[in-house]
Amino acid sequence: MKRIFFITAAAIITCCAACHKATQQPGGTNDFAALEQSVITDFVNNTGLPQYANLVSAGVSLNSVVSTLNTNTTDANLLAAQNAWKNMRSTWEQCEGFLIGPVESLDYDPNTDTWPTDKTQMDSLLASTNPLQTDDVAALPQSLRGYHPIEYVLFGVGGSRTAASLTARERQYLVSLSADMLNNNIQPLYQSWASAPTNFAQSVTKAGAGSADYTKRLDFFLDVTGDNGMAGICNEVGSEKMYEPYVNKDSTITESPYSGFTLTDFKNNIIGAQNVYLGLNGGKGIKDLVAAKNKDLDNKIQAQFAAAVSAFANITVRYEVAIYTQRVQVQQLMTQLQSLKDILDNDLTDFLKQYVKD
Amino acid sequence: MKKFLITTGIVIFVLAFSMCHKADVFPDDGYDERMSGGQATVLDASSKAFTIGIEGLSARDERVHEIGDQVFDQTFVAPPSPIFTGLGPVYNNVSCVNCHRNDGEGIPTAGFANSGLLFRISQAGIDANGGPLAVPGYGTQIQDQAVLGAKPEANINISYTDLTITYPDGSTATLHKPLYVMQNPYLAINGSYMLSPRLAPPVVGLGLLENIPEQTILSYVDANDMNADGITGKANYVYNPYTGKKEVGRFGLKANTSTLLTQIATAYQQDMGVTSYVQKQESAYGQSQMNGIPGDVQPELVDSLLKYVLFYVKTLAVPARRDVTDPDVKAGQVIFNQLNCAGCHRQTIQTGVDVTLPQISNQRIHPYTDLLVHDMGDDLADNRPDFLATGREWRTQPLWGIGLLQKTTGTAYYLHDGRARTLEEAILWHDGEAKNGKEAFMQLSKADRDRLLRFLQSL
Repeated sequence: MKRIFFITAAAIITCCAACHKATQQPGGTNDFAALEQSVITDFVNNTGLPQYANLVSAGVSLNSVVSTLNTNTTDANLLAAQNAWKNMRSTWEQCEGFLIGPVESLDYDPNTDTWPTDKTQMDSLLASTNPLQTDDVAALPQSLRGYHPIEYVLFGVGGSRTAASLTARERQYLVSLSADMLNNNIQPLYQSWASAPTNFAQSVTKAGAGSADYTKRLDFFLDVTGDNGMAGICNEVGSEKMYEPYVNKDSTITESPYSGFTLTDFKNNIIGAQNVYLGLNGGKGIKDLVAAKNKDLDNKIQAQFAAAVSAFANITVRYEVAIYTQRVQVQQLMTQLQSLKDILDNDLTDFLKQYVKD
Repeated sequence: MKKFLITTGIVIFVLAFSMCHKADVFPDDGYDERMSGGQATVLDASSKAFTIGIEGLSARDERVHEIGDQVFDQTFVAPPSPIFTGLGPVYNNVSCVNCHRNDGEGIPTAGFANSGLLFRISQAGIDANGGPLAVPGYGTQIQDQAVLGAKPEANINISYTDLTITYPDGSTATLHKPLYVMQNPYLAINGSYMLSPRLAPPVVGLGLLENIPEQTILSYVDANDMNADGITGKANYVYNPYTGKKEVGRFGLKANTSTLLTQIATAYQQDMGVTSYVQKQESAYGQSQMNGIPGDVQPELVDSLLKYVLFYVKTLAVPARRDVTDPDVKAGQVIFNQLNCAGCHRQTIQTGVDVTLPQISNQRIHPYTDLLVHDMGDDLADNRPDFLATGREWRTQPLWGIGLLQKTTGTAYYLHDGRARTLEEAILWHDGEAKNGKEAFMQLSKADRDRLLRFLQSL
């Protein structure tokens, strides 16, 4: 009879244990949820907002030096403006590591960075007598606004620009382009994160807790990892922007053909994605989530980011030249980027779907 | 004693497993009603829900889908350009995605970089193929933008007036009635003309719709209203300029295009001024704007890229339904059927066989359309016939994904020109063959009206 008692007791315990839903996994589900929230909050406060604030500063600087160039058109001022453009461009390309939220939904990306450049229409515009004040430029098609038209005027075809060759209309176009970029796009982009009505920073922070954009935290993580985020930019660089000029052997269709800044554009894109993964300014990144559950995967992703970024160093000439003279190195870099994209798109996405449950 | 032990053991063993058995939510009929597109369904409710390809493509097909995706997003520029050339001389927008935002619907403005509303134009009468009669110097569509050196054909001024609708229970709703006025025509138009607004619709599930057998569509026609429900429906037979044949129309807001290939190639030609092997002639052919692009070479869109875009659109998955077990949603579904909304918005259709793509082949789908054109009454009429569709008739809009438009577009717009700001407004605009359904909706209690809207939001 005693035996029956023990068997029955053991069975009941088995029943209860079998039906007990784990509330505290190894590592702690609640701890992991808290970690998810810190990663999100740090992404907003340490990566997203500071990067966009840097972009505003870069835009203010560009506006200032372009204004100086307009009134005092010297080669030294032209060089200062070119450097200011490169600085702003670097910041922007890093921001492309997270093309989520208003940058796309409110069209700030297409308004400032359409590709390829529309040289035919830029030349037509400059040859015409159409007005070129800031409001006029703001009403132009997207391909005649933003980074690349500024680049075209500042650097000229093949980077041949000299201060003496700048016409009055080119200077006016430049001044208005810069003002349109800052006033109608970059500053509103920052504001769309920082304040009402969109207040995207707050919306991200509230992911899974009443956010209009992200019903669940997982939605945010998948967004910033997928097509709009890290994997998307790796794919865009490796499969489109590097591939097309390479396979066509055509340096006129590179990303920034006038400044020859294309390779730096690409590298900054990948660094931008890496920033999201690692976190910036001492904040947590997605790596912290991955490392908490699967250190091996974290190592793999970090190593692939490092391999991709370091592969840029193997290309020692401008991308416009490398597609002819360093094709092996270009191919190797594209292969690295494809591997990176695959890990982010498959392994990291699967990880997030497995572990982020809220 | 041994017997007792064994029996107890078995009972407890069975009990242990039965306690752990999770309630089965799979419906008795074996079909999961969330799967709006059958196998071609994606479980995603984010702002990118319309942009996801169907699962299970081969590696090669995935690559083709991906390139098609890139081209769908690609901005085209004025010729000559070494890549993505051919924009204009007149156009409505510079890329597919500028109108089909996130592969969803457009924004109902005209003439801006982010506009998704275009206007068809024609004169009284029909052309040699039974289609709308082109207006000399304009063709059958107003291109309201142009490359530098050319002039837009015209601008469209859009204004709205409010209409108040009062329900029998005393509550009210306000409708937004649009007025479209053509301004600044580049060339005087002799005589009268007809304008028809068309808002860019979502592009998901189109491979499935193309794969619905023609006889299935025709079986929904009830020309003499034999069942006396006030709904007749008509298949629109349209001329396909690529095959040179009359075919049943499926795409376009008046079912005025028969195949996806023609739909996409015509959008490139008419909306962007980009020619292809399917639509070889510029939309502005014979017009003075052609002087704006001297030396342009045709066709502008590489054949393979057009095919990749076609494959991309064909292989976009349909987002799954949400909240299907919510009691209000289920009650709303019952009301949807009671009001005979499903008389036009057909819930379940079986696609035909396509051996090249198993995911869209022989699928049980829930598109909520019959692909027929129906009289929608005076208030929605554009009064511009389009092949067999009269000026009062519109194709039944598929409702799958309609509950996600708020996320995919940022602000949801409904109906053929985006005039309705809410699903309630959209229902209240229904008339003609949908008059009985609309009036029955107005007779419902507020709670039941909300249940119906909750159901629609779950699609």
